[in-house]
Amino acid sequence: MPAIQFREALRAAMVEEMERDETVFLMGEEVAQYNGAYKVSEGMLEKFGPRRVLDTPISEAGFAGLGVGAACCGLRPIIEFMSWSFTLVCMDQIINNAANIRYMSGGQFKVPIVFRGGNGIAHQLGATHSHRMEAVYSRIPGLIVVAPSTPYEAKGLLKTSIRCDDPVIFLESEKMLGEMGEVPEEEYLLPLGKAKVEREGQDVTLLSYGRPLQRVVRPAVKALSNDYNIDVELIDLRTLRPLDVQTIVDSVRKTNRCVIVDEDWGYCGMGAGIIQKIQKPCFDDLDAPIEYVHSDEIPVPFSHPLEEAMMPSVDRIIAAVQEVCYK
Amino acid sequence: MAVADQVQRRPPAPRPQSDGRLERERLRMMMLIRRFEERTYQEYTRPGQKIGGFCHLYSGQEAIAVGTAAIFDKSKDYLINGYRCHGHSLALGMSPHAAMAELFGKATGCSHGKGGSMHLFQAEVGNNGGHGIVGGQIPLGVGMAFAQSYKKTGGVTFCFLGDGAVNQGTHNESLNLASLFKLPCIFVVENNGVAMGTQVERASAEIDLAQRGCGYGMPHYNIDGNDVDVVITELGKAKEAAARGEGPTYIVANTYRFRGHSMSDPLKYRTKEEAERAKLRDPIKLYQQRMKDNGWINDEQIEALDHQAAQEIDQATRQADADPFPAPEDRFQEILAEKYPLEK
Ligand SMILES: Cc1ncc(C[n+]2csc(CCOP(=O)(O)OP(=O)(O)O)c2C)c(N)n1
Repeated sequence: MPAIQFREALRAAMVEEMERDETVFLMGEEVAQYNGAYKVSEGMLEKFGPRRVLDTPISEAGFAGLGVGAACCGLRPIIEFMSWSFTLVCMDQIINNAANIRYMSGGQFKVPIVFRGGNGIAHQLGATHSHRMEAVYSRIPGLIVVAPSTPYEAKGLLKTSIRCDDPVIFLESEKMLGEMGEVPEEEYLLPLGKAKVEREGQDVTLLSYGRPLQRVVRPAVKALSNDYNIDVELIDLRTLRPLDVQTIVDSVRKTNRCVIVDEDWGYCGMGAGIIQKIQKPCFDDLDAPIEYVHSDEIPVPFSHPLEEAMMPSVDRIIAAVQEVCYK
Repeated sequence: MAVADQVQRRPPAPRPQSDGRLERERLRMMMLIRRFEERTYQEYTRPGQKIGGFCHLYSGQEAIAVGTAAIFDKSKDYLINGYRCHGHSLALGMSPHAAMAELFGKATGCSHGKGGSMHLFQAEVGNNGGHGIVGGQIPLGVGMAFAQSYKKTGGVTFCFLGDGAVNQGTHNESLNLASLFKLPCIFVVENNGVAMGTQVERASAEIDLAQRGCGYGMPHYNIDGNDVDVVITELGKAKEAAARGEGPTYIVANTYRFRGHSMSDPLKYRTKEEAERAKLRDPIKLYQQRMKDNGWINDEQIEALDHQAAQEIDQATRQADADPFPAPEDRFQEILAEKYPLEK
């Protein structure tokens, strides 16, 4: 299998789906002539022309809503945001319109749209540009929330998201776009709403997704196995809404211990929501309270060491795992 | 109606030759909408209130919805609206029963009781909804026009908004996008002079709202929104231009709402004189007079139309009242289009 960059995997998914389905188009700031703020859409204007790859003015509410309206009328828009932080100015279009129109119309409309872009802390962008929006959108009935953790996952999940008849919030990370990973040459799709047991283990269940999974969780799992003799079952959640509760519960019933890692704030954070879903079905199986490793409850600081310090680290994860394993 | 009086209007359109058949249908629809809204008012305010939530009546503005419907092609055009959406929905052919049942929250309502007064939809005729967030529907309308342009359907989108919505950020973004992409979108601002209790002159630094459509490279002008013939002519021209690929038009249809903003509005911000003066320009009365002048209708026939409308609304209301509420388990339906886990 050839190794390609995360951004190339995303691009391949979009290109394949646009070749397959005429109603798919890409719209966003700088996606066309500039070839993408982060070069995800590089070459796509040339390939598909300005009818299907469209630059927009800096009008998030305008083009997010445009996408929703177009999706209601038979198109399959891919709307790229430069950052999910910027969706703070267009949430009405996503939360009120994309998520509710089907319900409020008694099922008369479907809204097949993918909103995608970089989510979370992307290194020294400061508090305004570093929001982790997953918990905000994962709360919303009517939305699907997806967070890939490798180029392989990114391509397979994005392809399914584009074919999905519901609105999908697709959370990437600017910091992951250059990461390499093996991606098959032949076509494949990955399911939405299905978590992946990435590593089987006996001692503790570790739950994570997206960037933190790649940045700190995988290294922590390696260290736990090599240096601490703790056998981790690692689950890549992949879809945050709907959450694959069954896969998590099955794992915790086996390991009797659970640690959740994300880069969100803890209070009302993504992990807090996951705990609410699993603590009851797992209560009798748990040998320790569920641990939740998250970012500090502060605005995201600019200075590199401060930013680094606020986020979950390999050490914090190891400490949490030791805590639940009483080791 | 201070502002509506001050701004320059387009002159009334020359009347086309006609035998009065279409006109009678338009008059009937305006009268039906008026009757529907008055019945809604009664049902909302009577003891044992059957309608809950926010409810905004269209009385006084009927000429705009009915004029639009007259040039609307249900096979390819779209209409999208704010929450004051009963009139437009009826004008596009929603049965008074489906509308009233929705207001009652019944399973037989157009949205199965999940939308309510502010969210009436009828997809099969291109009625893409009432939308509750002021200005939230404007980008959606642009997107619907985008779909028409992308698919080359030849259809156009009528995107309705209020004079209050002009002050939302989405207004600026949407007008710019629609014109930049040359989309077949006709923005119709229903200027009834007041947003809830805030008059245009207290909300917009420019009181001539047509000027708020300035700076986007599209035609922008005022029309008399109480004259159904003017609405037909002016929106018709904008529609033709849009269909020819000339892009959007911004039309301010000046009008007056006879009732309060919503049901709880005591109308303290209005004088009796203002309301009396507005009644003289009641779009239904104006149209009846014109039709009489043309010999298309007489008082007796008008009386009969009104009687018919009242009966139709009464029947629809009784039926809606007798209809069942949705089953409790229906609340989980129609949220997502797919089943998960989803494999494709
Ligand atoms: C974003 C938002 N802010 C406030 C409201 C509450 N609200 C509902 S209608 C309205 C007035 C809008 O007036 P206008 O746009 O002139 O429309 P009209 O009611 O006259 O049809 C307000 C403030 C809302 N629904 N949405």
